[in-house]
Amino acid sequence: MAVSGASAIARRALADSRVRTISFALLFALGAFTQATAYREGYPTLADRLKFARTVGENDAARLLFGTPHNLLSTGGYVSWRVGGAMAVFAAIWGLLGAVRAMRAEEDSGRSELVLAGVVSRGKAFGAQLAAIGAGTALLWLALLGSFLAGELPVGGSAYLALAIISVVPAFVGVGAVASQLAPTKRMATGLAAGVLVIAFALRTAAAISGAGLGWLRWTSPLGWAEELRPFADPKPIVLLPLVATGGLLLAVAAALAVGRDIGRGLLPTSDRAAPRRGLLGSPAGQALRSERGAVVAWGGGVGAFALLMGVLSSAATPDVISKDLQRQLEKFGGGSIITPEGWLGFSFVFFVLAISLFCCMQVGAARREEAEERLETLLALPVGRSNWIAGRLLLAAGGAAALAVAAGLLAWAGAATQGADVSLFSMLGAGLNCLPVALLFLALGALAFAVAPRASTAITYGLVSVAFVWELFGSLLEVPRWLLALSPFHDIGLVPGQEFDATGAAVMITIAAIAGLAAVALFRRRDLAV
Amino acid sequence: MDRFVVLCVFLAALFGTGVVIGSQRRQSGCTIAVMSTTILAIRTERLSKRYGETLALGALDLAVEPGEVYGYLGPNGAGKTTTIRLLLGLHRPSGGRAELFGMDAWRSPVTAHARVAYVAAEPNLWPTLTGAETLDFLARVRGGTDASYRDVLVERFQLDADKKVRALSHGNRQKVQLIAAFASRAELLIFDEPTGGLDPLMEMAFRETVFDAKARGQTVFLSSHILSEVEAVCDRVGILRDGRLVEQGTLVELRHLRAQTVEVSFDGRVPELPVLPGIEVAKTGSNTLRFEVSGSVRPLIAALAGQPVVSLQSGVPSLEEVFLHHYEDGNGRIGR
Repeated sequence: MAVSGASAIARRALADSRVRTISFALLFALGAFTQATAYREGYPTLADRLKFARTVGENDAARLLFGTPHNLLSTGGYVSWRVGGAMAVFAAIWGLLGAVRAMRAEEDSGRSELVLAGVVSRGKAFGAQLAAIGAGTALLWLALLGSFLAGELPVGGSAYLALAIISVVPAFVGVGAVASQLAPTKRMATGLAAGVLVIAFALRTAAAISGAGLGWLRWTSPLGWAEELRPFADPKPIVLLPLVATGGLLLAVAAALAVGRDIGRGLLPTSDRAAPRRGLLGSPAGQALRSERGAVVAWGGGVGAFALLMGVLSSAATPDVISKDLQRQLEKFGGGSIITPEGWLGFSFVFFVLAISLFCCMQVGAARREEAEERLETLLALPVGRSNWIAGRLLLAAGGAAALAVAAGLLAWAGAATQGADVSLFSMLGAGLNCLPVALLFLALGALAFAVAPRASTAITYGLVSVAFVWELFGSLLEVPRWLLALSPFHDIGLVPGQEFDATGAAVMITIAAIAGLAAVALFRRRDLAV
Repeated sequence: MDRFVVLCVFLAALFGTGVVIGSQRRQSGCTIAVMSTTILAIRTERLSKRYGETLALGALDLAVEPGEVYGYLGPNGAGKTTTIRLLLGLHRPSGGRAELFGMDAWRSPVTAHARVAYVAAEPNLWPTLTGAETLDFLARVRGGTDASYRDVLVERFQLDADKKVRALSHGNRQKVQLIAAFASRAELLIFDEPTGGLDPLMEMAFRETVFDAKARGQTVFLSSHILSEVEAVCDRVGILRDGRLVEQGTLVELRHLRAQTVEVSFDGRVPELPVLPGIEVAKTGSNTLRFEVSGSVRPLIAALAGQPVVSLQSGVPSLEEVFLHHYEDGNGRIGR
């Protein structure tokens, strides 16, 4: 079968992005379904919902995170506030990552030179990549629609809400596309585009804070426009116009820039030269720290900001806000009350356990990349022992995880302190450090996978964390036997400070982690390096 | 409170292993003080490697003397890189053993590597470091380098050392590796097709630097398929085919294995000649013949006397001819 050059590129781009697109689709589906179900079950009566609207709906901290609510009395209205705003941000992330991946990463790696040396013109290649992103967007829309319907929301409203969520995609694909023309590397293009998203988010957030008189700001941000589509309140489909127009305009600019520039370079001047800086270059571990520094700072920033927000929100955790049904649901996660600031913070730290575990996954991935890209071969041909190398990487990851844990605890405490909540610094530092047994367990298991099955190790590590987390979330709600739930490390921690510290669980996990870590060091010594 | 205790124990356990391993490394680094001239730089004994079903290297016996420049020849996929990975202890032998300076390559790589420098075929370095930073990093991890010689080499190879690795071409990244290896003054230099991306001028700089190394008594193991390079710098050559060493010797020895070539062109059509024992004939043009002569050329000269010979060229076989001889099937095609 003859395939035209452009459609071959589109297929390649689609295949390339499948893991990312499917992950986002699953995330969307899961979030949409659980929120719809949880609100219906948690706030069954109109009285419950009125109370919720008066308290949480007017709470500035909640608005910071989720944006402006337009109708909290129907499940649909709640879902469009509670997940619509957050998911629009995720859709924007998906769009800009997709654009940068298709347009800059291909070029960064030198592959587009190969493609453009063939018969495909630049314009056609650009169009083909957009077509692939369009197909991915359609998939996201279907995933959202399907789970809203599964969550028993009406068809028309669900389709419109799903559309509202993905309505920001064209604009942020445009942002990613323009950034890809400007920046010469994938990392820099991602940074530029993410910067625009942060500004858009900040503008929407400022607009959402009630009573600040800044409501007009929402018209300056695509994320604000998506909110103004007002699904399940009073729909205003006319707002789709600026969203589509912005996307179209940015893409036209990107296409014009793409046609007129040198392939393999960006339009922004960059310095590929630098005076030598010798810091941290004394050992492989030092060099690894130097190259992972940016990642640690970025994770620290993200975790810290989220922790601060959770701290600020903790004062809103009162019996008025969280209904009895919801409390019962949450208590299935392992006892303890959520309606005190401490309980709320303890519960929210499940997400920091997840985030720090994912950081550990990323470190296993970085070690594996060092091997796959054959730099490890160069290092190990020097007088560097394998055990030394892997132990250095693991210590670095453990140190990074510990720093994140402390930052999470510290900032959650600081956030709570701004609201005058009664939470001690000591207990919040404990909550932070309490994330470590699970994270270090996953780090050690990931290292073991790296030592035994290097090519699959990154996937195995992320897979273990995801499966364990999903099992904890859904296993608790499905009321499966306790021992089965306990298979997930996320279940084996006491959510301090709300709950008692689970010393046995922590000790077991740390013992397993230590054994797995030592086994990884020993086994890595015995295998061939694998590209 | 006990949660902190448990955490501290775990961290201490992790740190502990690091420190123990580190101290072992330092101790073992000091044990090699005596160097004997009788110890071979490289020795392999029935060294073999299988990857699943594929035999990458079969029962290789190799001996490289200290101070020797050894050329390791073979087409792509013959097992050259596999040999080097086994020599460096990066891959584990399926059978036999490899030794560097009498030390087992798999069991004690760190002590062995203190005396070895390696240049990989693919110059995969750290993209965000500059050339100078990379040289600095590799030197510090090795534990020292000849800084003044490094400066000489940066000059000789015309490396723009302040440029980031991500902006360097393949050849320039290769220069970074070569400079790091030569400047280390390691006793044994292992090169895996090191000049793939170098231009002819830099190729000359490479040869010059190999001669420097040889003059200082360093051993060089040069894997290559650039025959002119091997011919120019190597004392001894081994030819690898399908994971087996099919020929080994000095260039002079290898040339004797191969017939000398005589190219004859005639005025007009090629004449009929009698069949001569030990001489193969091939028609290379409408009026030219090529003779491959295994023994003396006298019978050929006698047969050509009285024929309308216009020109007669004879040459000793080049390494290329020796090499091709080992890879030709019966029909003159190149096979593996």
